[in-house]
Amino acid sequence: MANVFPKWANFVPIKIIIGIVLVLIAITSIVTYYFTPKYTRVGYQPTQPVAFSHKLHAGQLGMDCRFCHNHVDESAHANVPSTSTCMSCHSIIKTQSAALAPIRASYENDKPVEWVKIHKVPDYVYFNHSIHVNRGISCVECHGRIDQMEVVHHDQSLSMSWCLECHNNPEEKIRPLDKVYDLKWKAESKEAQLEMGMELVHDWNVNPPISCSGCHR
Amino acid sequence: MKLKNQDKNSQDVKLNGSKYWRSLDDLSEAPAFKDWLHREFPQGASEIEGVNRRHFMKIMAASFGLAGLGLSGCRRPEQIIRPYAKQPEMTIPGVASYFSTSMPAGSENQPLIVETHENRPTKIEGNPSYIPYGGGTSGYAQASVLDLYDPDRAKHSTRAGKKISKAVAHDILHDLHTKLSQSSGKGVAFLSEMSSSPTRHRLIQKLRSEYPDVIWSEYEPIISKNPEIAANQLFGKSLKPSYKFEKAHRVVSFDCDFLQSESGSLSSARGFSKARKVISAKDSHKMNRLYSVEAKLSATGGMADHRLRLSSSHILPFLRLFAAELFNESNVYPNVVNKLKNIGGKLDVDHQWIHECVTDLISNKQQSLVVVGSHYPVEAHILAFAINEVLESVGHTVDYLEIPSHEVTSIKNLTDSLNSGDVETLVVLGGNPVYNAPGDLDWKSAQSKASHVIRWGYEYDDTSKLSGDFIAATHYLESWSDGRTLDGTYLPVQPMIQPLFEGLSAVEVMSGILGMSDTDSYSEVRKTFDLLVKSNNPDLAFNKFLAEGLVEDSKFKTLYPSIEINQLTRLVSAFSSITPRVSSENVEVLLPASLQIGDGRYANNGWLMECPEPMTKLTWDNAILISPRLAKELEDKFQVNIFGPEIKMNNLDDALLDGAGKFGLEQYEAVFDRGKEMAPLAILSVNGRSIKGPLHVQPGLANYTLVAPLGFGRKTVGRIGEDAGFDAYPLVNSENPLFTNNVNIEVLSDRYKLANTQEHWSMEGRAIIRESSVEAYKEDPNFVDKMGMESHSPPIYGADKDKSLQEKSVETHRGMSAYEFPNFDGAHQWGMAVDLNTCSGCNACVIACQSENNIPIVGKFEVARGREMHWMRLDRYYSSDEGSSTVNGVPEDVQVSFQGISCAQCETAPCEQVCPVNATVHDDEGLNTMAYNRCVGTRYCANNCPYKVRRFNFYDWNKRAIDNYNQGPFGENLEGELPAMQRNPDVTVRMRGVMEKCTYCVQRLQEAKIHHKNRHGSTGNVKVPDGTIKVACQQVCSADAISFGDISDPESEVSKMKLSDRDYSLLGYLQLRPRTTYLAKIRNPNPKMPNSYSQPFARQEYEDRYGHGDHHGHEDSHGHDAHGPSDHGHEKSNHH
Repeated sequence: MANVFPKWANFVPIKIIIGIVLVLIAITSIVTYYFTPKYTRVGYQPTQPVAFSHKLHAGQLGMDCRFCHNHVDESAHANVPSTSTCMSCHSIIKTQSAALAPIRASYENDKPVEWVKIHKVPDYVYFNHSIHVNRGISCVECHGRIDQMEVVHHDQSLSMSWCLECHNNPEEKIRPLDKVYDLKWKAESKEAQLEMGMELVHDWNVNPPISCSGCHR
Repeated sequence: MKLKNQDKNSQDVKLNGSKYWRSLDDLSEAPAFKDWLHREFPQGASEIEGVNRRHFMKIMAASFGLAGLGLSGCRRPEQIIRPYAKQPEMTIPGVASYFSTSMPAGSENQPLIVETHENRPTKIEGNPSYIPYGGGTSGYAQASVLDLYDPDRAKHSTRAGKKISKAVAHDILHDLHTKLSQSSGKGVAFLSEMSSSPTRHRLIQKLRSEYPDVIWSEYEPIISKNPEIAANQLFGKSLKPSYKFEKAHRVVSFDCDFLQSESGSLSSARGFSKARKVISAKDSHKMNRLYSVEAKLSATGGMADHRLRLSSSHILPFLRLFAAELFNESNVYPNVVNKLKNIGGKLDVDHQWIHECVTDLISNKQQSLVVVGSHYPVEAHILAFAINEVLESVGHTVDYLEIPSHEVTSIKNLTDSLNSGDVETLVVLGGNPVYNAPGDLDWKSAQSKASHVIRWGYEYDDTSKLSGDFIAATHYLESWSDGRTLDGTYLPVQPMIQPLFEGLSAVEVMSGILGMSDTDSYSEVRKTFDLLVKSNNPDLAFNKFLAEGLVEDSKFKTLYPSIEINQLTRLVSAFSSITPRVSSENVEVLLPASLQIGDGRYANNGWLMECPEPMTKLTWDNAILISPRLAKELEDKFQVNIFGPEIKMNNLDDALLDGAGKFGLEQYEAVFDRGKEMAPLAILSVNGRSIKGPLHVQPGLANYTLVAPLGFGRKTVGRIGEDAGFDAYPLVNSENPLFTNNVNIEVLSDRYKLANTQEHWSMEGRAIIRESSVEAYKEDPNFVDKMGMESHSPPIYGADKDKSLQEKSVETHRGMSAYEFPNFDGAHQWGMAVDLNTCSGCNACVIACQSENNIPIVGKFEVARGREMHWMRLDRYYSSDEGSSTVNGVPEDVQVSFQGISCAQCETAPCEQVCPVNATVHDDEGLNTMAYNRCVGTRYCANNCPYKVRRFNFYDWNKRAIDNYNQGPFGENLEGELPAMQRNPDVTVRMRGVMEKCTYCVQRLQEAKIHHKNRHGSTGNVKVPDGTIKVACQQVCSADAISFGDISDPESEVSKMKLSDRDYSLLGYLQLRPRTTYLAKIRNPNPKMPNSYSQPFARQEYEDRYGHGDHHGHEDSHGHDAHGPSDHGHEKSNHH
């Protein structure tokens, strides 16, 4: 009987298998790289209704984070300031600025300014700002150098594995409480950070939750 | 397992089934019940009906295809943050605020603290500043927050059915004012619900003095003023009794359900549990003793140490004999004794029961208390007051409070005026008389005689429908008002939120009628406060009032009046001697408020509707409760099966497979068919008025007493209350609202499907509830260790068994597992202890849990399939004496035990080992946590849970409207944003396909820990002090049956409770080491009583079946079963 299949057909199965493996590897790589918050979220920089410059306010003017985000140390939310907070200065300074028109409109009409949310964790994550800032974790660890950002962007991935890196090794990030809102501050060296970190973790009895119940309820 | 009740004609068949049972099927070991027992979800609950597997796969394939098309962007949608334009004071976004207020309910207000999130009330708690309630609340108060967000509430006022604006509603009130002014009130009648509000009261007084010709009438279907009338007759003053159960060592209740349905039950239950609590055998003699004489089986009867079944019609004659015996033994009131003996002597009761009970009371003078159900005639209350006086209880266990007298026209007289045409304008304030007025008055036609009817109400109900003008009311969480507790403590009602819709508050309506257009309800409340509370700084005092939620020492004046013997003799001599005959030809019908939805005012509240009634475990319906004896007689008379058809199979294997290989359980039409009770319908009629409802056999009822709970069957009601149950109000008689005699009963062959949960989530295994009597407990304080399989199995903690609780909680190794477990090295180790001795089964914990944890309701159809979602369930067990009389195998006298069950947070949790995706794992503080986002819905965990506490979201309960679940995205969604506004923002709202369960209110634990660490940031103090955290079920419990806290701290309340010798682990032999343990129930029988018992029935049953628990330490006897003929609950235990 004549050969129905030519000789090259012998290699078809193996080629198919290799092809499938390559496709699977490609899909896996694509998903792990492109479908993670590190790719999808980091760098997210939407246009806000008011071109508020953190670089100007927090950087050049040196305003404390808590001047506007005044409930960050007592609430789970670091509140976006109410319009009245803006107006406490801007009713005196730059009262006619065109850039501030939406703020004045909001204040007069009692309608909120619609800020676009940048930092977002899923609904089933109950992140709490107050416990972090009260236990020596600075804003900069999650939000980056906000004081240098003209327009705020998403700086860190905020994925679960990223959270757990720090929850497993808090000594690498913890700092004295008076430096929490000082975004420039850095320990002199990595060794100095670790030494101080170990001491603070021990003295303050810091034991960040690594169980589900810490963040999911 | 052989069923011997095949001989239907035998009245006293002996069953081998459990004497400790949840339902009639459990008792008879019906195969269908066995099936419940062996499944994690009831049969049918985990199946799709009407879709076969192949069809299902087709649909799924198609929907995956569509999902692919829909996958557009990878970024999450843009979200907006809307901060306040002007930040309100004291509001911190993300932090709950708590405000005091109180909930008006009939003649009392309940002091509350309301949790609000961004000024949106989400959860009700009791106000702990009010000592008598100790922070406890009723289930009604818990559920009232849901009424605020009820999509079916009246959103606007109407005139002749057409929507009108708030301004027009004000005009209606203004026109009424004009009419009043012209006629000095002639031709205008008011019918109002009762209210304890001093402001409203002041305005009513103003109305009645300015317009003396108005008729002011008040009506509540359930609340009775008979005790006050009796006190007035006996003492000549306006008084009411106030009981101090905490000081009562002996209590006799004459059909007074003071633990649950009587008003003031919160303080009674709290006081009673204080006097009942025992920690160890040493102080068991301090425990109180409760005698109960009643017709229906109430929570109080379930708690009673001695219970006597007696028709309601016979309770007054019985009380006469009781009083005569007591006065005679105490050598007082000889004339009264003679008279009482003359008129009350023909009753067929055990006189020794009375004698021994009386002797016990007399030997505990000053510590005894006799209470009578408030609906009983004035005469009964007079006798009770006299008995308490003779027992020297006044000033010890009973006080009298001087109450303001308040003369009102009765609804009966108002009906007469209406019928004679004297009333042109009728104003109905609250209530719902078209629905709940006594059936003999025919209120509906009386109301139509008035030419103009104005109705103010919260719902558009039957009365609103028949009223020309309807004015919408605000919820109490939206209004300013005030009120008083039963003892007179002055409480504020302050709004938590602006009115959601166009309603008017009670004070606004009253001031509108009075023509005071320049005032608002806040000013009126403030004015009342300034009149009532004298202070140098009224502003400060008022703020203190709002902050604390009450005015201290504002309760009514306490008096200790004594009885004038002449007055008593005069009153007693007027008693007449009617003892109605009660038989199957002449049944009496008791008409109490239903325990689910009260008198009908909560009929559109889904939480209450779905919460199983404590005794019958019925949801979404009421039923006519019938005693086994009467059921049997009616079965014979009407040839209709009431107990369910005879069970022919006598073997489970035969039952599982019938000849044709079909799944044989289908062929059983037992009383229960897959949890759906198929109840026969019956018609009750008296004097031409009749009701029709399903019959439900209830052990423990008086033989010829039927119970028809009120509150169901409303015609005009929202979506929840629609088609729920039957209306029993037509049988209510204005002379005697409590019960109706001479009722004719007819049983039909039609059947009605009831959603009964009593077999759902049944556990198997021995000694689930452990009980002892006081005497036996003293002799054998460690009895709990000798019960159950633990007495045979190796010690639960192995070599660590002698370590302390604290050491065990953190050190004992948890064995090997497929997953890495965290060590228990957290700062706290959470644990709970439930004291079965004080739980009276009031259901408040079930509702509190539902409110706190965003637990959805599922509707009657889904409940019947066993899909109810309550994380906390209250199991009710009946137990009976070997020698007690039975009918058709159903005992007539039962003891009741309640057991609240939620996830026990097992240290070696079996659910965790079977989860393929690690969605349920332990944390380092001993919680068995749920990561909902990981759950893929295999339901293996529920399958492996011996306590059956896991609940599965078969559908999108939180998103879709009831009865639209199975239509998926094509179904109707819940309407608007209202339901979402009630949700607790700290708890995930679970979606379809996710398993859920109790996690000890983990959101409260985390919040308290974070709050504590925030305050002690740079110190090492991370331990939350004991008592800071209260979980929802614990907080609501007025009986303090639940303790919760850190078991690694030997000083914590829960550690102390767990040290009790009564502490046991449920199904402990499974070695799961649950963190929730139970404290065994103790009963306190009087050995001299004729129906005394040496051990509670449940214990007797245990000993009969398994022998005395003297096998402790016989480690080699694990699993053997030489003590009882039955193997109920054993054959599967090795599967766990």
